[in-house]
Amino acid sequence: MTLVHNWHLGRRMEYPYFESRPKRQFAAIFNINRCIACQTCTMACKSAWTYNKGQEHMWWNNVETKPYGGYPQSWDVKTLKLIDNGENTWYTNEKDEKLSPYGVYEGDTIFEAAAKKNLNQWAVGYIPEDKEWRSPNFGEDVAKSNKPDEYSSLPEHSRWFFYIQRLCNHCTYPGCLAACPRKAIYKRKEDGIVLIDQKRCRGYRKCVEQCPYKKPMFRGLTRVSEKCIACYPRIEGKDPLTKGRPMETRCMAACVGQIRLQGFLDDNPKNPVTWLIRHDKLALPLYPQFGTEPNIYYIPPRWAPRAYLRQMFGPGVDEAIEKFMVPSRERLAVMSLFRMAQAIIFEYKIEEGPKVFETVIHGKKFEMFNDTVIGYGEDGQEILRTTIEEPIHIRDPKYLNSI
Amino acid sequence: MKNGISLFKYGASLLGIVFLSATIYAAEETAPGVKGMSEEEFTPTKEVLAVKYVQADKPYHMDVESLKDRFKDAKGVKVALQKQDKAFPNGGGSVSSAEVKAVHDGTTIYFQISWSDPTKNVRAIAVQEFRDAVALMFPLGAVEVTPAEHFSPRMGDREKPVNLWHWKADWEADLVAKGELEDVEAQYPNMHDDFNTNPYSAYYHRELITSVAVLSGGRAANNLLSQPGRGRTVEDLNAEGFGTLTTQDHQDVNGCSHYEDGTWTVIIYRSLITEDPHDVQFVPGGNSYFNMAVWNGEEKDRNGQKNISTQWHPITLERVAWQ
Repeated sequence: MTLVHNWHLGRRMEYPYFESRPKRQFAAIFNINRCIACQTCTMACKSAWTYNKGQEHMWWNNVETKPYGGYPQSWDVKTLKLIDNGENTWYTNEKDEKLSPYGVYEGDTIFEAAAKKNLNQWAVGYIPEDKEWRSPNFGEDVAKSNKPDEYSSLPEHSRWFFYIQRLCNHCTYPGCLAACPRKAIYKRKEDGIVLIDQKRCRGYRKCVEQCPYKKPMFRGLTRVSEKCIACYPRIEGKDPLTKGRPMETRCMAACVGQIRLQGFLDDNPKNPVTWLIRHDKLALPLYPQFGTEPNIYYIPPRWAPRAYLRQMFGPGVDEAIEKFMVPSRERLAVMSLFRMAQAIIFEYKIEEGPKVFETVIHGKKFEMFNDTVIGYGEDGQEILRTTIEEPIHIRDPKYLNSI
Repeated sequence: MKNGISLFKYGASLLGIVFLSATIYAAEETAPGVKGMSEEEFTPTKEVLAVKYVQADKPYHMDVESLKDRFKDAKGVKVALQKQDKAFPNGGGSVSSAEVKAVHDGTTIYFQISWSDPTKNVRAIAVQEFRDAVALMFPLGAVEVTPAEHFSPRMGDREKPVNLWHWKADWEADLVAKGELEDVEAQYPNMHDDFNTNPYSAYYHRELITSVAVLSGGRAANNLLSQPGRGRTVEDLNAEGFGTLTTQDHQDVNGCSHYEDGTWTVIIYRSLITEDPHDVQFVPGGNSYFNMAVWNGEEKDRNGQKNISTQWHPITLERVAWQ
C-alpha cells in the first residue's frame, strides 16, 4: 500500500498504487432536485452500448429511488455495512480549501477496512447475485414514511424519496482498478476515464466485487466484465456533430430534465464544473467515505432528511443546500449552463444584466439579474450564449393549435 | 544469481554465501500485496513423475473412457495442495490433494489429473457462478530447478517464464453447445431477447445479429475466453510472475474430462514437440518439471484464489522403445 491524498476525505489514505492524477478529469454534476426519473439517460446509454446479447441486465447508467431503490439491490447499504466499524466519523472544525474542503474523514475506506480485516485483497466488497441486477430502479418510488427533520420539509407531504442518477464515477482511486489482479483496468492519463481492457480481462469478477458503486458488470456471453466507457469516442471529439470538439456523453446529452452538466475537473477556476465543485462546493461526491474519490457530483435534494444526506454526500450537504436554495448571482448564472450544449464547456464568462426580480427566501434576500452567460469550448471558441431569464415567445393566435 | 548457480554446483564450501543471498531475496516483498517465498519452495519435490512410454494408437474420440487404458500401468504422483497465500487476492484451500499420472506415445504426452470435488461447476455465465478448473505449469526452456536458481513455482518470475495449460470445465460445456459457445439461454432458459437468429423469422434483424460480435468487447478484442468455436477445452498460456498470465496466440493443448462420484478426472494432452517458442517441449528420455493448481468453482475459486502446490515436481520421460 502507498499513501495517496484524497481531498474528499481531507486526508491521506492507503491505496495499492501511487497518486497519479490525470491531466484533466472526466466529471459531471447532477442536480438531484430537478430529476424526474424519466430514465431517458438510462435508455440513451442502453441503446448506445448495452443493447446487445448478454447485456440484458446491464445498465451502465441508471436512476434509482432513494432510500429504498437500488441497482443492484441495496448496493449502498451492503457496502456501507462492510466499512462500518462503529466509529466512522467526520471532523469538520478544520478545513483547508484545497486539501480538505469538507473536513476530515476519520473512518475506514473500502481499502483500509480490507487491510484491517486482513482480507488479503485490496478492498472490501461483495458480488451481487444475478437476481439483484434485475431492474435499473428496483423499489421505484417507494417513499420513506418518517418525517423529514427540522432542516428539511415539504409543504404538503411528510413522506419523502428522491432520485439518484448513477453511472461509473471514473474514480481517482478506483476500487475496480485496485482489485484487478491482472491490471486489466486502467485510468487514462488524458481524461481520467477508467476502462477495462477487454483482451486482458479474464472474467474473475474482482472488479464487480470491489467497486463500491457496483458499476463494472459481468457479461455471461463473453465471460468478461464490462463497464461504462464514458462514451470516450465522444469525449475525444470523434462525433462529427461537434466538429472535433469534446462532446458530452450520451446520458448527459439526452437529459430532458436538464439536470446534468458534464465537463472536466481541472485547475481553471472559470471552468463551470471546477467552479461548482471546488470553489462553490455546491456539488458533492457520492459516498466519499468509500475512499475512491468519485468524480460524479450531486447537488443534494433539499427535502430529504439531512442525516441521510450527510451519510450519502458527506458533511458538505447543509452548506450546499443552503447555497442551492438561495443562489448567488454567479451560481445562478453557472447553473444556467446545464444542458445548454452538446459540446463540452471549458470556460464561462458572465456579462452583467439588469436586476429583474427580488424576493425573500427562508428569510434571506434573493436578487435576480438577467445576466448573459457565455460558454467557451476547448479551443476558446464560443459554444453557447444564454440568459438567466429565458426569452418568452408568444405564439400567434393563428398557430395556437400547431406544433 | 548466475554466479550462485555455478558456485552451488561446483563449490560446496561456498554454499553458505548462496543461502545468505537466497534468504535476503526471500525476505523482501517482491511487489505490493505479494509476500516473499520460503527457501523450501525453490526446492523441487523428491518424488518424480515418470512419464511412461505407452504404445497406443490415437482413439477416434479423445475422451477419458478411450484414453484411460494407457494410464493403467502409470505410477501416479500425489500432489499436496494448499491455499494460495502469497499474492493478493489470497484464497482456495478446499482441495487438499490431486493425483497426477502421465504417459506418452512417442508423439503426444498425456497428463491425467484426478481430484475430489463434491460439486460439479461447469458454467460461469451467472455473475455469482464460477467454474471448476485445473492447470499444469511447466518452466520454459531447459532449466534446472535448484534452491540457487530461484525458479518460482508460483507463476514463474521475470525472465523466468512458464507455460501453463489451463483446463476449464465451462470450455468443455462450450464444446458441445450450439455454435460452440454456451449462450446466456443455457443459464436462463426462459429469458427473452431481441436476437432472433433464424433468418426466415419475421423478427430476424440482420444488422442486430451482426452487431453481436462488434459490440461484444471480448470478442471484438479477440479474447479467447469470449470466442465461440475454440475447438478445445484447454488454454495454452504463458506467465512471468503474478498478474502476467497471457493467452498464447497459438493454441496447442487440448483435454477431456469425466466427473463421477465427486471426482474429476481430467486428461490434458499435447504433442511432445511444438513449433511455438513459447511452449514447453518434451523429449523422450529428457526431463522437466511441473506444478499445478486446482480451482473449485463452488468455493468461488478463480485467479489467485486457488488450491496450489508450492513446489516444482520433477518429470522424466521414458525413452521410446522401438519394437
